[in-house]
Amino acid sequence: MKNKKPKFSVILGMVLISIILLLCLVSFFWLPYDPDRMDTANRFALPTAAHLLGTDQFGRDVLSRIMVASRSALLVGLCSVSVGALIGLVVGAVAAMSGPRLQSLIMRVIDGFMAFPGILLAMMLVAVLGKGQINAVIAIGIFMIPSFSRLVYSMILENKTRLHIKAARSYGCGPVRIVISHIFPDMLPRMVTQFSSSIGGAILTESSLSFLGLGIQPPSASWGMMLSEARQYVLSYPFIAVAPGVVLLIAVLGFNLLGDGLNDRLVRKGVRS
Amino acid sequence: MLKILGKRLLSSLAVLFVVSLITFFILKWIPGDAAQLILGTEASQESLEALRESMGLNEPWLTQYGNWLVNLFRGDWGSSYIYGESVRTLILQRLPVTFSVTIFSMLIAVPVAALIGILSALFKDSPIDVFSRSIMQLGTAIPSFWLGMIFMIVFAANLKWFPVTGYVPPSDGFLSFLHSIALPSIVLAIGELGILIRLFRSSMLTALEQDFMQSAQVKGLSRATAIVKYALRSAVIAPITVIGNQTAKLFGGTVIIETIFALPGIGRLLLTSVEQRDIELLQGIVLFITFMVVFINLITDLLVAAANPLICLETGGKD
Amino acid sequence: MKRLIAIGLSILLLMGLAACSSESAGTQAGTDAAGANTEGTASASEKNELVMALGVDPDGLDPQRTTAASTFQITNNIYEPLLTVTADGELTNALADSWIVSEDGLTITFTLRADAQFSNGNPCDADAVIASFERLKAEDSPRAGDYANIVSMEAPDAQTVVFTMGTLDVAALSSFAYPWAAIVDVTVADTLTNQPVGTGPYVLEQWIPQQSLTLTRNESYPGTVHIETVEFRMMPDAASQISAFQNGELDIITVSGDQVGAFENNPDYNVIQAPANSLQLMAMNLDNEALADIRVRQAINYAVDKDALIETVWWGYGQKIGSHYPTVLKEYVDHSEDYTYDPDRARELLAEAGYGDGLTLQMYLPQNYTAYVNAGQVIADQLEQVGIHCEITIVEWATWLSDVYTNRQYDLTVVGHTGRLDPYVLLARYDTESGENYFNYSNPEVDQLLADYQSEQDEAARTEIVQRIQAILAEEVPALYIQDPISLYVTQSDVEGFETYPIDIYEMKNVSFVQ
Repeated sequence: MKNKKPKFSVILGMVLISIILLLCLVSFFWLPYDPDRMDTANRFALPTAAHLLGTDQFGRDVLSRIMVASRSALLVGLCSVSVGALIGLVVGAVAAMSGPRLQSLIMRVIDGFMAFPGILLAMMLVAVLGKGQINAVIAIGIFMIPSFSRLVYSMILENKTRLHIKAARSYGCGPVRIVISHIFPDMLPRMVTQFSSSIGGAILTESSLSFLGLGIQPPSASWGMMLSEARQYVLSYPFIAVAPGVVLLIAVLGFNLLGDGLNDRLVRKGVRS
Repeated sequence: MLKILGKRLLSSLAVLFVVSLITFFILKWIPGDAAQLILGTEASQESLEALRESMGLNEPWLTQYGNWLVNLFRGDWGSSYIYGESVRTLILQRLPVTFSVTIFSMLIAVPVAALIGILSALFKDSPIDVFSRSIMQLGTAIPSFWLGMIFMIVFAANLKWFPVTGYVPPSDGFLSFLHSIALPSIVLAIGELGILIRLFRSSMLTALEQDFMQSAQVKGLSRATAIVKYALRSAVIAPITVIGNQTAKLFGGTVIIETIFALPGIGRLLLTSVEQRDIELLQGIVLFITFMVVFINLITDLLVAAANPLICLETGGKD
Repeated sequence: MKRLIAIGLSILLLMGLAACSSESAGTQAGTDAAGANTEGTASASEKNELVMALGVDPDGLDPQRTTAASTFQITNNIYEPLLTVTADGELTNALADSWIVSEDGLTITFTLRADAQFSNGNPCDADAVIASFERLKAEDSPRAGDYANIVSMEAPDAQTVVFTMGTLDVAALSSFAYPWAAIVDVTVADTLTNQPVGTGPYVLEQWIPQQSLTLTRNESYPGTVHIETVEFRMMPDAASQISAFQNGELDIITVSGDQVGAFENNPDYNVIQAPANSLQLMAMNLDNEALADIRVRQAINYAVDKDALIETVWWGYGQKIGSHYPTVLKEYVDHSEDYTYDPDRARELLAEAGYGDGLTLQMYLPQNYTAYVNAGQVIADQLEQVGIHCEITIVEWATWLSDVYTNRQYDLTVVGHTGRLDPYVLLARYDTESGENYFNYSNPEVDQLLADYQSEQDEAARTEIVQRIQAILAEEVPALYIQDPISLYVTQSDVEGFETYPIDIYEMKNVSFVQ
């Protein structure tokens, strides 16, 4: 019984992610319409056979735009979390393996970054870097660094005292080698888990930024921006706010479920064994 | 004990110092110039230069940072060039809005989460548990700006249960004030449910497995009595820290909800300052919010420490 | 003991927090008291408070130190210029009771209203007026350039001010009617931004940025003022404006074309629609090699279906134009059909110019202006159809001002221009040497015509010059001239006297409630 539920959430997560991946992959080969082509005579159309999800305020096909936007959502999600995880890994490892002075200095700076709640830090970074897709990746990437470095830091400290590490050290292994060949394999499951659930968060942050007009810029499509454009007309044409939100929810939910499921399976198992 | 308090205070101060450094130097990189913004398109180069000089924009960075910090301590948080008002006044004017929305949404979220979380722990793997875990997942995944829009369409525009947007200050009637912040608070609360349910559920599960449950039953108490007398109490105390942290986080994350519901709170002020590049205002807000976060966390920690001597022991307070 | 210390410390910290919040409660309470006062003075039988929704806050309340229309809409009720305009664009007296222009047009003598005083009690005499203009002409004033032609100001007596112009400028008189030429009390110059002091019909009671700004009647203002209290409520969201208006919480709102239908033909509301004294266009940078070619510019004009554009972005509420001239001014000539929508002709012209294989242009759009961002996207889509690809960048207003407007680093941009009372100021930006010529447009004939206009005293001849410039611009199209927008206001049916003016101001003193 205990193992059945996590499995279900992993499967559901996979299914949801596959929907988004499918939308994204298909968009490279086929789109119902040119996502940027306007048809001003036919705007705010309800779903029909011709436009499965209707049209937006310029008469552009909503489904096509959602499909194209899935590319940037996945791109921003994957890239920013990779950036955050890589830098976080390095920072955390350096902090954990260095002397007490440097260690507390690094951790203070990380605490400082973590003290910024919500998307405050991302907003501040965007104010400096400017808007746009690449800057969103950088801003969200930086936003992700502290949690990854915290994780790596605490795991290394945890492992440092374990027997096989002590043994390796007594054989004369350097700190870099210890981290890579002894501690890293132990950390992998939790890194993977954190990675998966961070992607959900990154996609959400990206769309929040775009919603506030600070992320991806028109005319490129992004889910958050589609919702922000829909906001102007939402009371007269509520329908245009539905589809982008549902897709966004599917994507975030998918990655979160996968992360949680993996957490239950990989991490708990690891602890038990 | 005092040692821990001192340590905790010191580390909070250190974090605040780091935050002020980060804030100041990140924002120094902002392209575009405050002086140019104030004068607009039709100003001459000479007047631009004069204004830059008088605003201290020509001084070295470290001097600027030092001056800024000194002024902060004096209570002068700078002034906003868009409003011509002191940053402190602007923030304090908006504080009640953000503060009440934050508190109100926690007042909604915590009892609901406690109820669902504890029930689902008691009836683990039952339909209630499945339901609560679905809420948990949906709550974290659902984008608040989308939920806000949907709620606005359904509950405000169509059912007309709530005003669409706008804010009524408590001075215009407490009930209409609550009414005006109800919908945004509910949306925020739903976003918090995920984390809080998880918390209550796991803390209740832990409590149920504790020794005192067994010993209580050995003593002949019924399971129900044991749950009410012991498990519930310990399950509710444990999450306080996290609730504190979440409140603090929420306080800084109201920008989206304030934008959707047109609430004149700190979040909207923040967005305006980012859009208009009102650097002094932005610095002031960022620092104020982070200060509040650090402060609330500190208070929570101290309260928990006071309420539960066990934690002091665990953290090594054997002085 | 340890617990006691911990509790004590937490309480101490909490008290700090409480002190912090009680301070804000204090200011809140103060404003409440003020609110109660006004309620007390307004008699119960008569409605004496008008509430109007605005989308954005004013950019401070010092009219001499900003260029934002949002400021002038409000400050015009607090300060007075020497002259003002009627809804028809005629100059009329404000702080000055009368004025005389000399034969040669170089001296203007104003006679001030007797016993005029600022709302803080300071007298507003000739010296105060001169001091105010000196501040307007000062280096850090954004309008300094506009008033540089005033070479001397004298006060023969306390009620008379004489302005002397350096060169003949036929637009000089109207320059005294703009809201930025308002007379301010220079003795409190530093605090005007949030504590305005003027001679106008209202004084500021309270301003809570992003919430509301309240004006009350100025007791020392001698003219007729119908409504005791005017509140501007900042509501950036159109939906909330409309729902509050329908609940009767607001008396006047601005609406967009898609929303006006809900109010038309409803006896509870009055819809006011008036063409504005402004125009919207897509500017082209003639420094760009391709755009320097008139055929490319013409192709762009042929490629855009302006009717569809106006319908999509402004829901049809706008008057199509073909040159740089608002339809409301009397010299207007209709050039809107000079280049009718013809994508085939556009492709031909592009091919002739050597861009048959395509052309890529950089388009910059100002973020805060949703309509311009939308218009830019629609235009980009239509240009794509004839082989011109636009790379769109959306920039903040500050960046737009510095990069696009001042430094002219752009190919295409969509923006609006507010009209002035005199056509010269509107058209002067097409002078080769003008700092505001962000088109980089240069035509010796236009330069000459602009110079002639300055010294031409004959009305008919001036009109001819203005119309000739319109024709040249319509022919050479340094921009895609889109439309003269129509402003839409909705008021409750009991609101009377709310009018629109050829400059961006509201005259709340003329507004009243019908009982």
